Formats: sequence, structure tokens, C-alpha cells
Amino acid sequence: MMKGGYTGKILRVNLTTKTVSRIDTEKYEEFGGGHGIGSAVFFDLVGDQLPFEAFDPRNLIIMMASPFSGTFMPGSGRCEVQGLGPMLYPIEWFGHSNFGGRFTAQMKFAGWDGIVVEGASDEPVWINVINDKVKIESAKGIWGMDTWDTQQEICRRVIPDQKFKFGEWAALSENCYTTQVPAVVCCGPAGENRSRLGALLHGPGSQAALCGFGGVFGSKNLKAISFIGSGDVPIADPQAFMDARLWFRKFQWNVDNPREAERFGKAGPYALISGRPSGGNVLNRELPLTPARAAACASCPRGCRMRLATGDSNESVCAGTMVINVNGSVKFTRQGNDLMQRYGLGHWQLMPLMRYVATLHEKGILGKGKQLDTDLPLDLTGTFTYAEALMRQIATREGIGDDLAEGCARFAEKIGRYEEDVNSGELSLAWWGTAVHYDPVVEAEWGFASLLGERDLMLHMMSNYPLHWMAWSGDPYLTAEEAAKLYTDAMVPYQGDPFMVDHSDGPTGIYSDSKVKQVAWIKHYEKFWVGSGGFCGWRWPMCITNNTADRRGPTPEAEPKFWNAVTGNNLTFVDYMDIGHKIYTLDRSIWVLQGRHRDMEVFPDYVYDKPTRGEDMPMYIDGKWKYDTGAGRTLDREKFEDFKTRFYKFEGYNPQNGYPTRNTLEKMNLRKVADALEKKGRLG
Amino acid sequence: MLDDKKTEKKEATAKKDLSRRDFLLTGGTVAAGAVIAAIPSKAVAYPLSVGEEKTYPASKGYLVFDSKKCTGCTTCMLACSLVHYGVQNLSRSRIQIIQDSFAKFPNDIKIAPCRQCKVPVCVQNCPVGAAFVDIENGNVRRIDSDKCIGCGTCLEMCPQQPHRPVWVEINGEWKSSKCDLCIDTPYWNEKGGPGGKQACVEACPMMAIKFVSDMPDQKETEGYDVNLRNDHWINLGLVDDSEVVPKISLAWPSRPGGEGGEE
Repeated sequence: MMKGGYTGKILRVNLTTKTVSRIDTEKYEEFGGGHGIGSAVFFDLVGDQLPFEAFDPRNLIIMMASPFSGTFMPGSGRCEVQGLGPMLYPIEWFGHSNFGGRFTAQMKFAGWDGIVVEGASDEPVWINVINDKVKIESAKGIWGMDTWDTQQEICRRVIPDQKFKFGEWAALSENCYTTQVPAVVCCGPAGENRSRLGALLHGPGSQAALCGFGGVFGSKNLKAISFIGSGDVPIADPQAFMDARLWFRKFQWNVDNPREAERFGKAGPYALISGRPSGGNVLNRELPLTPARAAACASCPRGCRMRLATGDSNESVCAGTMVINVNGSVKFTRQGNDLMQRYGLGHWQLMPLMRYVATLHEKGILGKGKQLDTDLPLDLTGTFTYAEALMRQIATREGIGDDLAEGCARFAEKIGRYEEDVNSGELSLAWWGTAVHYDPVVEAEWGFASLLGERDLMLHMMSNYPLHWMAWSGDPYLTAEEAAKLYTDAMVPYQGDPFMVDHSDGPTGIYSDSKVKQVAWIKHYEKFWVGSGGFCGWRWPMCITNNTADRRGPTPEAEPKFWNAVTGNNLTFVDYMDIGHKIYTLDRSIWVLQGRHRDMEVFPDYVYDKPTRGEDMPMYIDGKWKYDTGAGRTLDREKFEDFKTRFYKFEGYNPQNGYPTRNTLEKMNLRKVADALEKKGRLG
Repeated sequence: MLDDKKTEKKEATAKKDLSRRDFLLTGGTVAAGAVIAAIPSKAVAYPLSVGEEKTYPASKGYLVFDSKKCTGCTTCMLACSLVHYGVQNLSRSRIQIIQDSFAKFPNDIKIAPCRQCKVPVCVQNCPVGAAFVDIENGNVRRIDSDKCIGCGTCLEMCPQQPHRPVWVEINGEWKSSKCDLCIDTPYWNEKGGPGGKQACVEACPMMAIKFVSDMPDQKETEGYDVNLRNDHWINLGLVDDSEVVPKISLAWPSRPGGEGGEE
């Protein structure tokens, strides 16, 4: 019997039959929450029908909350979205994307642990959930709107003026009041037009940018989902939970009296990695500053976003503020990026695509009267006019936008340049059609974990922020040796092996058994704590921190402390990591059913052939730890293949093909998954 | 003093026209007799104060806040519902953060805790004395949920926007509740009330809520919304006036030992 954290039911909506039903959460409790439950539900509902395409009505949109959603667990405000991802290449893998804000919190307050959408409607609709009342509503008058207008119009429809009573308290039903506005997630015009760049938007700037789930919404004629609720999220041990939350304060940036303010408060990399508020929006650093507040997702003690006095770039961070660059104008740069959000275009795909269009133009391949003929005003590149025209054409599939809407990889394939441009690195799609993020030759675990997954890793709090960014700051608060030791001390159960973060290409470096363990740790943590706990990849894990005297972070003590207080379980960090391993194995099995084989898990040629410019990382060279860049290095094909062999063995998969074995699956209570793989002749 | 008197009078008679609990009141404070007839005799142990000109001892504690420092994370609300009810629920919270992500700073957030009013309209109008001034605990304005009959008068009569009492389900019955400065927190091992700790104050990661002993200015909206930001806050680049300049440069330096920019 579930004691806390869950509401007990998952909403199941069939848009083809226009029916609504429930799934008991308890049936899936062994998978934790969020991503884990989502994967299990996906397998149960459609696993036996794979493979099929992402725009097939059989595809599912699964949005799962976690036991932490709706609670004040720090940094757990994200919503995991799962389904076949039309953006992913060459196969539309069963993928995941997530977004911050307060969507899962309202989902839980409404009494739901998640929502599964199947089928496709014959007319545009949106799903309206007010506590336990669920309605499939006509999207007449909303379809065609941008993501901002959509959300605001839906809020008006859910809580019209006459529902307000007692000031801002709105009556959701008899006795049920809230001062909150509905939490809406929707696609924009890009998604409606089945763009593979289609993102989901919640609020003005929170994107589920990866995988193209906006396009899946469009293919289902689904414009939006809205949740608003006034109910309880039960907590198994409230006193322990409150104590844990107050204990966690020592790991936070102290806004009134930060530790070593001069050092960690200055501009540069620490603005993002020190845990201080507001650093995520990069567009408000120049004087005169636009008055602004730091804005947080539900329950986040950091608040990396901003809301500005001008209202533009509200709640956008990082790539959400960096894709569009209007020369000479911060104001129009903000508004250009906002336009991306309003069209519902995924920033992580739009960014390389814009670069690629520019490259093709420079090469004389794309332009007016060129081989790729377009009326895009390319001579106005760098202006708002150009950015607007490009985004509009992609979102509405107008002119060349129709091909560009297929995403970088498929566009390059269509014009016959994929092999040449990707392998040369000109089009830097390093894994599954998504842009390279960090260098797989030096910051190897980022690349390896992405390739052994289904999209870009997007987990900065693995070795990226704490180690790479700290080193890159030029003023690291730990020596390379101290950092390696302290960081890996937190990597239970593999603690005591500092070489897990050795980024040299020596015997203990990126091809070593230590690196195998680190990549496994990343995948298990990703699947359980981040994916299933709704954690933010900018907050967790916290293996080291500048906010404590001894530089130790709350990982691995905090995670089970909070989880057990909320759910009433009594498991250890390692027990939960084992569930993460199980979820990763289930995901991998689904990919295998779709056609994954170890031979596909290779980088483009340039990674093996073109010397890297390097990245600052801790390295163990000639018997000493130091920060170095690895500049000039290439990835060794043979050694990487050997790494893969050892990784598959470590995880319990057949090294010949990378398929999970029956023995591994049965130990994880996944016998039916083994049966499904065997039926397809793909059991490891 | 004259102004104070006027304010008291205004608060005491405010919002009479908002009464909608039809079983109880037909027009503000005139229906005291009807109320007595409608409630169990046990609950009338307290003298009614409806419509009386009466002064109340000032609360020895208040919550003030900085609405420009708040990030809207709602941790305070969840801490409140947790320590009082053992659950997490924004609708049970006695401090409300109302926000609109699309709006412009600073009008995107409104913070609404109980003001522990000088003239507590909730106490003054409670027909059964469930809303009371807790003389033993720093004169905090409280609601005794055992005595509350769920008539909703305090909720109706509160002159603030939004109204500050909170409508909650307690043991299957719907009743009013309100901020008690954490005097009664069955799910927290801390002493609350004046001189003690408050869950929202302790949990707020921005230190944007503060307990004070002196009564804030009782004007309509100002008074409780104070500046709790110091230079450390301004150095984050978070200003409320574009004339204010942080003491540090916010421009990113070139990448040490290499190319500029960020990743």
C-alpha cells in the first residue's frame, strides 16, 4: 500500500474514442515514478506493436509526475514527457524530454500521478482537468494560436471571472478553492504542423525541447493539456520531510550572506554553477539592467530564471535565450527568442539548423535562385526580420520551411548531404540527430552516455558543471586531485575510485573500467533520480558544492532521505540506483524492439578523425592529477569499441549486439520484456 | 490617532456586502440573533463581538515579506500546509503566493499572508468565538478549529484581497483556518508563535519572509511588503530600478586561456 507521494491514479485519455479511464499507480510502484513508470506503461500498452512511427496514432504521450511533484523537495519541479520522438534519427526512438515550471505540481494537486494520451482526435481538442473532472474540449478558437496566447486563453476558459470569490480565490467546485492559475502545456504552430522541431511549452519559457513532442501533439490534433487542483499530496513522514528540507538549506546559496561572495558571486561560469539565483537568463547582464526578479520552478530553492519589467524573455534560460541573436539589440534578441517559444520551436534543434542554413548559404548552395531555392531574406541574417521569417517558414512549413521542419538530420538527408556534412563535423549532429553539446573526446561521459541513450544527455550536474565549468572558471575551488576524490566519493556504490573522472586518454582515463562505472552511474542516476524523481539537471546530482565549508554536496545522503520521508519506503541510495538500472534496461529493450544494435552506437567520423580543441577537465597524467584540455586528441575507434564491450557486460547485456539478456531481465522482474525480445529474435 | 480610528472603523465594517453565506447573514453584522439560533449552544460559550466597538491587544508578531525578492517557488506555502496538516497542498496554505508567469515584474507576484490585523475583523465577526485573540500566546489572532462551525463568516468578512482565512477540510468537515504564526504545528518539532519559529520563514530559500514584533503600517497594501534585499542581491543583477548599478561587473570574462563566450 502506497503511503505517501502518490495520488494513486494515472489519467488515461484515448483521443480516438474520446474516452477517459484510470490506471492504478500502485501497479507500477516498483518503477519509482516519473520516467520509470512512463517506460513501464509504454511497454505494457504498445510494446508488442513496435516498431511504428512517431506520428502513428498508436504513439503515446506520457507525462508522469513523481512522488516529489507538488512537494517542496528542492529542484524536483520538472515533468517528464515520453513517447516515440519524431526528432530522433535515424529511428524515432522511444525518447524523453522534460520541462520545468509547475505542471506536475498542479497535476498532483488535481489528484493525478500522470497522464497517458493515446490515439488521435478527428478535430482539434485540448484536455481540461480540474481536480477529478476530466473533459476533452474542442480547441476551436485556440488551434492556430501561439503557445503564449493558447495558455492564457485556456486559463480564461478554465477559470472565468465568475468563478472568483474571496478576492483571488477561485472556486474550482464546491468547497474547493485555489489562488493559482491552471498549469497548461501546449504545442505551437510548429507542433500543429507536425514539425519535428515542435516543442511543448509551459509558461512563457519552459520547453520540452528534445524529441519533437510538439509534433506528436499536432499529429494527435491535441493542442494542450491543462491541470488545476486543490487537493493534498500525502506525505508518509511529514516531520522527517520538514526536517530534511531545513537540513538542505546548508547546501543552498545563501542570498543574504553567500559563502565567499567575492569569488563565487562574480560574473562568468560561477554565475551558472554556484547555485545562485537568476543566472540562467543570459540576456540581462548589460547596463542599464532591466529590472527583474529571479523566478523559480515549483519548489526550487535556486530560481535560475527571470521575469523582467518588460515581460520579455520571462522564464527562459540558457538555450531559450541564446538561439536567436539580433545584432546590436538585447531587446530584439529577447523578443526573437520569445518568438521561438511562441511558435513552439525546440531550441536544441533550431540552433544547429540555423547554423546549417547559414553554412549552406555561405557555400552558395542555399539562397535565391540557388540549388536550394528560397525567398528567405538571407542578406538580413542577424536581424529580427530574418529570424522571424526563418522561424515562421519552419513553423508553418512554408517554402523551404517545409523541408527544414523535418529537422537537421532529415533535411540534410533529403538534400543528399547527411553523410558528408555530419561526418565532416560541418553539421555537428553527434548522436541521434541531436547537436553535439560537450566534446565526446574529452568530456567523454557526456558523449558516451548520450550515445548509449537516445538523445543528448542534458545533465549538467554530472561532471560538467562541477568539474568542467569549475575548471573553466580559471579559479577552481578544488584542485584536480581533491575534486576527483570528493566528487567520486559521492558516486555510491562505486565510491573510492577517483579515476571515474579521469579525463585523460591514459590507462585510467576515458576508455577505462572506471569510466564504464561512471557512465553506468550516470545512466542509473538519470533514469531513477532525475527521470523518476522529476529532478532538474541543473540541480542534481550535487556531488560537490561551493556552498559548504568542506565542499561536500548533499548527494548521496539527500536523495533517499527525502524519498523515504515522502513515500514511507525504507530503501538505500543503492537500492534506488538499482531501480535506475532496471529502468535503463527497460528503455534499452524498447530501443532494441525498435531496431537498436551496438553497431549503431557509433559517433560520426569527425569525432574519430578531427583533433579536438579540448575542454578543461581533471586528468591523471604521468602520475599526477591536473586540469588539462586534451586539445588535439581524437577518439580511438578500437578503444571505444572495447569500452562498449565492457560497458554492455557491466550492465548485463550481450556484448555482441548490446541486447539485454534474459538472465539480466529476469533478475529485474522483467520476464515479459525478455519474452518480447525473444519473440523478435533480439534477446541478448 | 484619528487616522488609526478611521482605519479601525473601516476594517470593522468592510466587506459587509460580500457576505454570501445565506444561511447565516442577510446583511453584514445585523443578524447576530439569527446566528445564535442557528448554532449549537456549546459553541456560544464566547461572547459575541459582532458589531461591537472594541479594541484588541496588538499581536506580538507579524509576517512581513519582500515581494520583489520572492521567486514564486511556493516552498513557503508547502511548508505551511505540511507543518499544520501533514500534507502538501497549496490550497491549505495560510500564506498565498499568487503569480502570473506572463506578467511584468514586479506585478507578476502578490504575496498574501495573514496580517494579524490591529482590528481583527475575523475575530470581531466570528459568531461562535472560534476566531480569537490568543492572550496566552502573544495575542496572535487564531481560529480554533474545534469550535469553528464552518459558517465562513471570517472568510467572507476579511477585508484583504485575497481574503486571508483559508477554507480547509478537517476530519471530513469544511472549516476556516488562518495563520497562527506556527503556534500549533502538529507536524513540526519547533516552538512557534512570537519568540518561536515560523515554517514559511524558515523554509523560504530567498529569505523573503521575516518575523517582526512591531506592528507594520496598517495601510491597505504597503507596510507588510518591505525591502529585505542587500547588496548581495543587487550583485546578482536583480534590481528594481534600472538606475541601480551592481557593485560588480556582470559581463562575462573571456574564457580563461582560450576563446571567449560561453557554452
